[in-house]
Amino acid sequence: MEGTANSMSEYLSVLIFIFVGIGSVLFTFFLSRLIRPHNPYKEKSIPYECAELPIGDSWFKFNNRFYIFALMFVIFDVEVVFLFPWAVAFGELGLFALVEMIIFILILFFGLFYAWRKGALKWV
Amino acid sequence: MTDGSQVGVIFWFLSFVILISGFMVVSLKNIFYCALFLVLCLFSVAGIFILLEAEFLAAAQVLIYVGAVAILMIFAIMLTTDMASKEITQTNENVTVGVFVSVIFAISTILLIDKTSVWRYQDHDFSEGVTVTLGKLLMTKFMLPFELVSVLLLAAMIGAIVLARKERS
Amino acid sequence: MEFAFPEYNLRLMAPEIFLFLWALLIIAYDVLTKRKSETTAGYLALAGLMITGLILGFTGTGHGFGNMFVSDTAAKFFKIIFLGSAFMAIGSSFGIMREKIVNHRGEFYGLILFSTVGMMFLSSSNELLSLYIGLELTTIPLFVLAAFFKDDKLSVEAGIKYFIVGAFSSALLLYGISFLYGLSGTTDLVQMKINIAITHLTFQNIGVILILAIVLVVAGIGFKLSLPPFHQWVPDVYQGSPTPVAAFLSVGSKAAGLIAFAKIFVNGLFAFHHPDMAPNDWGRLVALLAVAAMILGNTVAIRQTNIKRMLGYSSIAQVGYIMIGIVAMNALGMAAMGFYIFAYMFANMGAFAAVAIVEDKTGSCEISTYSGLARTSPLLSATFAVFLLSLAGIPPLAGFMAKFYIFAAGIQAAQHDPGLYWMYWLVGIALLTTVFAIYYYANIIKQMYFAKEPSPHKVTYNFPALTVLLIGLAGLFVFGIYPEPVLHFASGIASSFGIIP
Repeated sequence: MEGTANSMSEYLSVLIFIFVGIGSVLFTFFLSRLIRPHNPYKEKSIPYECAELPIGDSWFKFNNRFYIFALMFVIFDVEVVFLFPWAVAFGELGLFALVEMIIFILILFFGLFYAWRKGALKWV
Repeated sequence: MTDGSQVGVIFWFLSFVILISGFMVVSLKNIFYCALFLVLCLFSVAGIFILLEAEFLAAAQVLIYVGAVAILMIFAIMLTTDMASKEITQTNENVTVGVFVSVIFAISTILLIDKTSVWRYQDHDFSEGVTVTLGKLLMTKFMLPFELVSVLLLAAMIGAIVLARKERS
Repeated sequence: MEFAFPEYNLRLMAPEIFLFLWALLIIAYDVLTKRKSETTAGYLALAGLMITGLILGFTGTGHGFGNMFVSDTAAKFFKIIFLGSAFMAIGSSFGIMREKIVNHRGEFYGLILFSTVGMMFLSSSNELLSLYIGLELTTIPLFVLAAFFKDDKLSVEAGIKYFIVGAFSSALLLYGISFLYGLSGTTDLVQMKINIAITHLTFQNIGVILILAIVLVVAGIGFKLSLPPFHQWVPDVYQGSPTPVAAFLSVGSKAAGLIAFAKIFVNGLFAFHHPDMAPNDWGRLVALLAVAAMILGNTVAIRQTNIKRMLGYSSIAQVGYIMIGIVAMNALGMAAMGFYIFAYMFANMGAFAAVAIVEDKTGSCEISTYSGLARTSPLLSATFAVFLLSLAGIPPLAGFMAKFYIFAAGIQAAQHDPGLYWMYWLVGIALLTTVFAIYYYANIIKQMYFAKEPSPHKVTYNFPALTVLLIGLAGLFVFGIYPEPVLHFASGIASSFGIIP
């Protein structure tokens, strides 16, 4: 297919970026390991919380509310993914595509209405 | 820069990362680390999609799987009492059978696909770019499944809220 | 590449659109009124299903959305089954609404209707993508419905099990579909039928790649159909989920799997049914699974002590019988498949309704609960006995005619084609396992009628559940004695799949 090499080489910068990103983190760790003194003791290895002694385990149970929001987020995230190809193709397809997308979003909007009336959006 | 061999190198590298991280997901004892490896695995799959020139699929993979589903899993782990710090074993007595079946299936699938040369998937013309073609197809030919996806999402959302909501008694 | 907006023919889709909007209405009604009423949402759902049935009666045949949506005899026939089973499932759910489901009544009915809408789209899809999404829309609400008793461990277990199995099977199905697409270059089933045959002729032999696709699709839909070895989830899920949901799973969801199976294999892979196409043939593979289903379902059912588990294994066996009609691949086979699922709907939905009525009263699904029930609750015992006898295939009930047509189709296929001589064995095994089936169905009837002590329970009926019992009873007698109209209607299924009678 035409343009294969071109479109691939655009991602080369992404690849380089990923490697530079990972590399710079590793390099910093490596450098600090080289020049820091190595002297661990018990108080030093507990998590730093503004110089206070931490209360309880750092693995604590989160509020249930987060979960519903995360669930709703996933649903609307999937919806957004469908918006991308629509937006790109919209210029050529015109009004009809707009109507289709409005129907698509209206159906999901009912879900939002449901969640709202159900009180799933309330943070109590 | 990008001739076949270099793409090949990237492909093997990504496959290696996918396999290793996938193995970590099903073998590590701390489920929180499993979820993190899952993120890495899904991210590498997005890389494979880019190699296949399926940019839209790669973006969707990162947006949905890495951005939402994996995060949701991490949430679920954190919500479950003591789940994140617990050491759990991931295998049971069926592990031998499971490994056996999966290995047989994987090997036979790879062999069969490798031996087949009659694929007809090139029939589509993507000269305008994958995402534009996809958008147009979704809006015209595949309009019915497109609208159905919305109904499906609605059903999933209502179901999820029904199951996840705490009851006031 | 040309992009043209297809001709939509929205009127063909009127039943689906109406039912979807009705489901939204029920959910909205329930959240807006703060779910005060116990029964209104249920009656609304029943009314919606009846109106949808009426609209379906006035809907013509034809194609819409290009070739995506097709309204033909097969689609209409199965839509009647989906609507009927949803109607009977909702009818038998009024008992649990009183005590067990207090918070999400509207959602319960709304999700059943969503699932029905998915089934209806599935039966009208003429193309793999909408077929897959229709199948997902069928199962995703069912995951939630199976786990609807959130405080009941068994129900939650049922939901999780069904979800994991369902997600896994969907992945297998999707993988298989991607192979079919790769081999044919199209998702349209009719086009696929032509393209794969052309590929096969051009390359003489397309290798063994198609069998991989066939195995994956069989496995993917086999989970929904509960064909062994993909049946393990059935007893646990039926036992744990609310009884009306189990009933809906056993008829509606099974019929949906059946039409999906028929669409892909009978229509799309028409050319690859016969053993001549070895190793790319699917006929013998499916026949083997059908044999496994009949033997396993009927023998394991004997040992069950929980009635829902027993009905679960019995439903596995019933799918084995239905598959004979598909494997026969002749006009009679398709008609018999349609008639079988039609008769099965009355018998199985009725049986589950009876189980639901007893469960509402006693809170138990153990078979021992039914001991001596005939003396305290004669109507329930009599109707339940009729449903069980129909499932066993005793004349003059509809279940007998269904089995008769299925076996006749199998023998006809074997007679007409020497390559299908193994169909004789298939029918022979089916006849043999029917005898086992009579044993465990009769065992329950024995418990009800010939126990020494009368049962301590006397069941009470609510109006919708009683209606469901009577509908089942009437259906079994009427269509058992006079099956011609349904059979005539069902004979159109064959031409929908391109089989010339």
